[in-house]
Amino acid sequence: MHRHGLRDLRFLHAVFRQRQLWYWGAWALLALTWVAGIVLLALSGWFITATALAGAGLLATLDIYVPSGGIRTAAIARTLARYSERLVSHEAVLRSLADLRGRTFRGLAARPARWIRAYRSGDLQTRLTGDIDTLDAMPLRVVGPIVAAALSLLVTLVLASWLAPWPATALLLAAGILTLLVSLLLAWIGQRDSRQLVRARARERIALADYIGGLAELIAFHRAHDTEQTLARQNRDHARQLTRQESVGTLTEPVVQAVVAASSLLMLLLALHWYAHGQISAPVAVLLPLMTLGLGEVLGSLPGAWWRAGESLAAARRVRHVIAQGSTRTDHPEQPDPAAPPQLSTQALVTGFESRRPLSGPLDLAPAPGTPLIVTAPSGRGKSTLLDTLAGEQAPLGGSVRLGSTPLDALPVDARYARISYLPQTLHLPDTRIREILAPGAHDDHPDAALWDALHQVDLADRVGADADGLDARIGEGGQHLSGGQRQRLALAALILQDRPIVLLDEPFSGLDSATIQRILQRLQPWLDRRQCVLVTHAPDALPPHWERLELSRPVPASSTDSQALAARG
Amino acid sequence: MNATPRQWLRQRARPHRHWLWLSAAGSLVAAGATIGVSAIIALAVHRALFTPEHLEVAVVLGGGLALIVLRYLAQGLRDLAGQRLAHEVKGALRSELLRRAREAGPARLATAATTGEWIERFQARGEDLTGYYVRYLPALQAVILIPVAILITVFWLDWLAGLLLLFAAPLIPAFMAIVGMGAEQIHRQQQAEQDRLAGHFLDRIRALDWLRRARAIEATQSEVVERSHHQRRLTMRTLRVAFLSSAVMEFFSAVAIGMVAIYIGFALFGALDYGPALELTLFTGLFILLLAPEYFLPLRQFAQSYHDRAGALAAAEALVPLTAPAEPLAAGADPAAAAPPAPAPAPAPVVDQATNDPAARSGPLLELEAVSLRYPGQDAPALPRTTLTIQPGESIAITGPSGAGKSTLLALCAGFLQPDTGRVQRHGDAQSFVWIGQQAHLFHGTLRENLQLARRETIPDAEMASALAQAGLPLQAAELPDGLETAISEQRRGLSGGQAQRVAIARGLLSGYRLWLLDEPTSALDAETEQALLDTLFDLAREHALTLVVATHHTAVQARCRRTLDLGGPPDA
Repeated sequence: MHRHGLRDLRFLHAVFRQRQLWYWGAWALLALTWVAGIVLLALSGWFITATALAGAGLLATLDIYVPSGGIRTAAIARTLARYSERLVSHEAVLRSLADLRGRTFRGLAARPARWIRAYRSGDLQTRLTGDIDTLDAMPLRVVGPIVAAALSLLVTLVLASWLAPWPATALLLAAGILTLLVSLLLAWIGQRDSRQLVRARARERIALADYIGGLAELIAFHRAHDTEQTLARQNRDHARQLTRQESVGTLTEPVVQAVVAASSLLMLLLALHWYAHGQISAPVAVLLPLMTLGLGEVLGSLPGAWWRAGESLAAARRVRHVIAQGSTRTDHPEQPDPAAPPQLSTQALVTGFESRRPLSGPLDLAPAPGTPLIVTAPSGRGKSTLLDTLAGEQAPLGGSVRLGSTPLDALPVDARYARISYLPQTLHLPDTRIREILAPGAHDDHPDAALWDALHQVDLADRVGADADGLDARIGEGGQHLSGGQRQRLALAALILQDRPIVLLDEPFSGLDSATIQRILQRLQPWLDRRQCVLVTHAPDALPPHWERLELSRPVPASSTDSQALAARG
Repeated sequence: MNATPRQWLRQRARPHRHWLWLSAAGSLVAAGATIGVSAIIALAVHRALFTPEHLEVAVVLGGGLALIVLRYLAQGLRDLAGQRLAHEVKGALRSELLRRAREAGPARLATAATTGEWIERFQARGEDLTGYYVRYLPALQAVILIPVAILITVFWLDWLAGLLLLFAAPLIPAFMAIVGMGAEQIHRQQQAEQDRLAGHFLDRIRALDWLRRARAIEATQSEVVERSHHQRRLTMRTLRVAFLSSAVMEFFSAVAIGMVAIYIGFALFGALDYGPALELTLFTGLFILLLAPEYFLPLRQFAQSYHDRAGALAAAEALVPLTAPAEPLAAGADPAAAAPPAPAPAPAPVVDQATNDPAARSGPLLELEAVSLRYPGQDAPALPRTTLTIQPGESIAITGPSGAGKSTLLALCAGFLQPDTGRVQRHGDAQSFVWIGQQAHLFHGTLRENLQLARRETIPDAEMASALAQAGLPLQAAELPDGLETAISEQRRGLSGGQAQRVAIARGLLSGYRLWLLDEPTSALDAETEQALLDTLFDLAREHALTLVVATHHTAVQARCRRTLDLGGPPDA
């Protein structure tokens, strides 16, 4: 647990280190704010006492303008320092977190698809939003106040040791240490609970996504009411836990303030005692307790600081978990040679999820460029799994998939997709403009004419052109503004523009009549001519007869030595 | 008419008012104790300097400590009261949100917010209310009670110093109002952006596979960073306003304390020879000086909590529509359709007819008479006037181009929506139905848990296995490595779209309900999977005498249904 905490701290340090000058500046300003507040109070007390003595004729000379000027300066400095500190620290934190969000997204994207599917998207979303937001407490409410409090306390200690006998310094130090201990005790309690709270919040999110997303099913099965009650109960438990934790935090603040106030009272009595024995002057005797009182603001921020630390660390762990080590690597081993791209081939490939139940194989495939290989099979015989395996997204059960002489799984993800275009059966397109789907982030490479041309090839140009926004129309959440077949063809158009030497297509023409399929095929022919293509379909009859055909059948059990007829020319 | 966000926030506190009384009492006691401590300290200093023989250390120490303890006890009580208030308000709100979501039903809910947005409002916007009840309302009480108590004391001691404080105080709210005017607007923008950002992230996470294959990860990363920085700029606009208002506040309080100190100093020095300045002593001067920061403290806390208020108001604006009682969707609806709200848990039958007599059983299952529906803010009706009678055991395809109202009609059959005009008559078996959408929702958990949803009593394993086999997804399938214990997630780990629909069919079979409402059940599937799924579905329908109502634009479905209701409109491209 400790080792984890240390790693979380190191992670947070790395996140905020980039702008450390900003943070140190902000913390210094915070210390200045607090010291100015203490000075304002202490100097006022000193001033009033001195003038009272002078007024009563007990003090020979008193320059009343210098201290009153000091009071005014402290008042203004305090305001300005406070305002600048807040601006600087918040700006820096928000910048750090925006960058971190980008990095986290990238780290997440670098995770294997299987890893991601094990999580609910709502959970991952929490990590990218709420959890990252929680990290802002670290510099703003944890480290900042602690550093600034230490600096401010140091200033008062120096002042006290200069103005009064040592017990004054000792008393201030004791008040500081006592506050620190109370705060730490609280941190321990808070840390214990806040981890649970962050987890509970993520669990709640999953349950809510099920409740709202599955509401139709729940109502149909008369379970909506139960589920609602269960959720409400869980929420109440969660809230009660949160309130309990907050009560500890709420009560600690008054406790710390009471410690400080009691210290001031003690300081007053000590100071009056020293004054009576002529060790210090009367104005200083008033200054000392007021200075102690001024520490209330400083030390009062510590409990909250420790309390927040637990929450931040827990959130840091959840964010860190998404960004795996080594996930940010972007190195591509070597760029493919465009003249002679490496060929995709399989050697005794067996596909499936479990070795007990292979879905297809062993297969030796090497589709010839320009002659697509049509794969057919009864439903559930693993056509889609075969394509997943050819794309390198699913590990083979046996044998291998190679690109040239390199096994596919030896290639980094991005290098793999530099050569392979894959149109899967279930698509989840991002909710963005059609233009972005077709050519993500690369508008210069593809002029509008090229985009329209690609849309024309898949017979979508009319549909997109009918929309007033044209290429800038958004496709909606999950592509809901398009039908399933239109989504599939839009993705196909994107594949055309990707211009990669290997193309894997899963039911690209579903829902189209055969005339439209013929039209699209004719337009696609030049594009297909230059590529290796594997196409999965249930309706091979609509496709050109000279294309190669492969009928998948269930493999014989692994124990058998019988090998199967693999491919049959159609 | 919905309540304004301000009214709404206050209304929600009303049932838990007793906590506000407690916090007011805490404020008053704390103020009294503060005044007492200040008096003791000032008197101690005065006596030590001028009449040391009257200084009683024990009294100062004992009295002072007792009052300090009292003050912070009262303050702690006040804070706890505010916290309990927020706790109870939020708890009630969340229960209500959950209930309202159920009452509104999936169709209406989908028009209000996406799932991600709704969750964001439930969790984050609900949490945004905390500050209003924990800090703002108690601070509002304190800002009236404490300064008044202190002002009375100071006036009694020295009216000129009292006037100084009195005049400094109203300046603060005045400046705050000027600065804070734009704050709410900015706050709303910022929160709307935060909701959008959350939705954006969710969308991109779901599209990760596509983005990775399109090699668009880097572009999307920049987009994510860009959106985050955009949100940062909006947040900083909100914060700058908030910081400025509290800076103004702090400035005035610091200057006012300074001025009081300088006035008292000059008066004690003898530089001022008018009014109460002549009677000022070190005791009164120090007493006033000690009270001055306490006078401004509630004002400062109030200013800080003003930020909480703005945040809560913006949050309330997002929450008010979610807590509004479900109204008919369009104004001026046929009074015949203004049905009473849905009784839980049955989803809103307009007219219920218990059918125990066999004559009724042979009659229609569901009758929709001249129903029509229009969503607010849209010119074209979501469903033009439609009449449909559904007989038990038949299969009906509802067809038509996108936007013709296929899903709306189905939602009316389910009772998720109430018609603006016309009536829905539900007979006997139509009270319970199986719902399968375009992508059936599979719940987080195991396959067993997903199937168990169909019935209250525990379903035997054998029955589950049989239902799965009938639905064409036998337990031996490779995709179900752990059988009934196979973990199923939102992304349907290992299950294809067709297989997920088959789980839904198995679930439907287990429920024993005869009326099946299917909304585009095959539109996410390829044609072959579609045919296989339809084979299964229609075989089961024959075997179990199911009534199928299918909204679809697929001819494959239409061809199998006994009857087609075409909602018309322009032909689909």
